[in-house]
Amino acid sequence: MLEIKNLHASIAGKEILKGLNLTIHEGEVHAIMGPNGAGKSTLSNVLTGHPAYTVTEGEVIFRGKNLLDMVPEVRAREGIFLSFQYPVEIPGVSVVNFMRTAVNEKRQHEGKQPLKAAEFLKLMREKKALVGMDNKLTNRSVNEGFSGGEKKRNEIFQMAMLEPCLSILDETDSGLDIDALRIVAEGVNKLKTPHTASIVITHYQRLLDYIVPDFVHVLADGKIVRTGSKDLALELEANGYAFLNN
Amino acid sequence: MSKAIIQHITLSAGETREVVILNQPNAQYHFIQEEGSTLRLHILCLTDSQTADEQWQSSITVEQNATNCRTLLYGMGLLHGTQQAHIRTAVLHNVGDGYSSQLFKFVLDDQAKGAFRGELKILPNAQQVEAYQTNRNILLSRQAEMLTEPQLEIYADDVKASHGATTGQLDESAIFYMQQRGIDRDTAAKLLLCAFFDEVLNTLSDTELQEKLVEKINTIL
Ligand SMILES: Nc1ncnc2c1ncn2[C@@H]1O[C@H](COP(=O)(O)OP(=O)(O)OP(=O)(O)O)[C@@H](O)[C@H]1O
Ligand SMILES: [Mg+2]
Repeated sequence: MLEIKNLHASIAGKEILKGLNLTIHEGEVHAIMGPNGAGKSTLSNVLTGHPAYTVTEGEVIFRGKNLLDMVPEVRAREGIFLSFQYPVEIPGVSVVNFMRTAVNEKRQHEGKQPLKAAEFLKLMREKKALVGMDNKLTNRSVNEGFSGGEKKRNEIFQMAMLEPCLSILDETDSGLDIDALRIVAEGVNKLKTPHTASIVITHYQRLLDYIVPDFVHVLADGKIVRTGSKDLALELEANGYAFLNN
Repeated sequence: MSKAIIQHITLSAGETREVVILNQPNAQYHFIQEEGSTLRLHILCLTDSQTADEQWQSSITVEQNATNCRTLLYGMGLLHGTQQAHIRTAVLHNVGDGYSSQLFKFVLDDQAKGAFRGELKILPNAQQVEAYQTNRNILLSRQAEMLTEPQLEIYADDVKASHGATTGQLDESAIFYMQQRGIDRDTAAKLLLCAFFDEVLNTLSDTELQEKLVEKINTIL
């Protein structure tokens, strides 16, 4: 599904990703862990096409197409979704209105008719239930005044609405209380199909108890420096990243 | 200044008056408010003309001459091409126990120029007044210009008064967030700008006009 080869990327003239390789197949969950500032969010931003980053070398193939040639909205419509580490507030634009626009843009891209009002509301109800999203939140402006946990839940709600094939969850567990973490993780698991894949960026093993990864990677200084099974997360939890210094 | 005739209007005691000034090139009004009257006024500058060279000059003066008056002034300008809009307001609290608020918003593209000069005067004996003034602007191009000149003269001490003015660009992080959900840049910008103007438009009591204006904003953008 996704093939990242020798990816180099910089921001403000500073190289952050320094030759990153990663291959993801349908049906797989890849956890990425690594110290603060290693470049995990940079990878999310580069994959989704954030304009502040420049790719200086390497390539990314997503479902047979050159991802780096696409503008951000096309990448999204092709099925890449990012649950932001820091979701953005959009004053005056309600979650409902935002999602109606987003869902219909995606449908148009797929050559489908826009959803009728009743169909859209049914979809909203279904997905709200799936991630335990409060009715009150969807009528408010996107993320405006949301608590940290509410913002993260709203990210997963949007993921449920858009049904991406590759979802990147950038520290979706931070800010969630214990119950919310379980509900959100169960939501993510329910959205999983044999044709979807996920990149789960986290600092804590806890999330990986719920969303069980097929692979755990350590990203340090702009590269994947170690790859293992889910046990690697346990080892990191116990010993930290001291091994990087040897 | 222009030589347009100033319209003098007195609001009688207890009267509520709504005034909508839609695309008048030269609106000059002087209102006097009597006891317990309410003035709700909107100045709206936006056209989808081909020439895009319109000029608007508006001057609104409101005097609260008796207690318990409310003055609510709203304005928006969506300008492009070489359009220019100058709005001058003066709210004079001549007596106490009054309320006034002013909310003016501009979005300027191309070489458009906007100006807002808002005067707020609270005379020495006009105690127990609440008076607010807000001017927010978004510049969509480097050549667009906005001039904001708040003038506050407050001589009474038992009052609540504030003013705020900001001029900035579209929030790029919000645009990227929307793009990441599959919404193209132009649509994202439209959503943000409609939301920006909504604070002014949703205060119009004529909902039909409100809808028409939203439609017009979307064709201009
Ligand atoms: N605008 C910028 N100018 C210079 N450096 C930047 C800029 N933005 C980010 N960086 C740097 O890029 C590096 C990678 O940041 P990134 O957000 O990808 O780290 P991360 O692995 O996600 O960390 P965390 O675990 O704390 O979220 C950091 O050292 C950061 O300071
Ligand atoms: Mg990060």
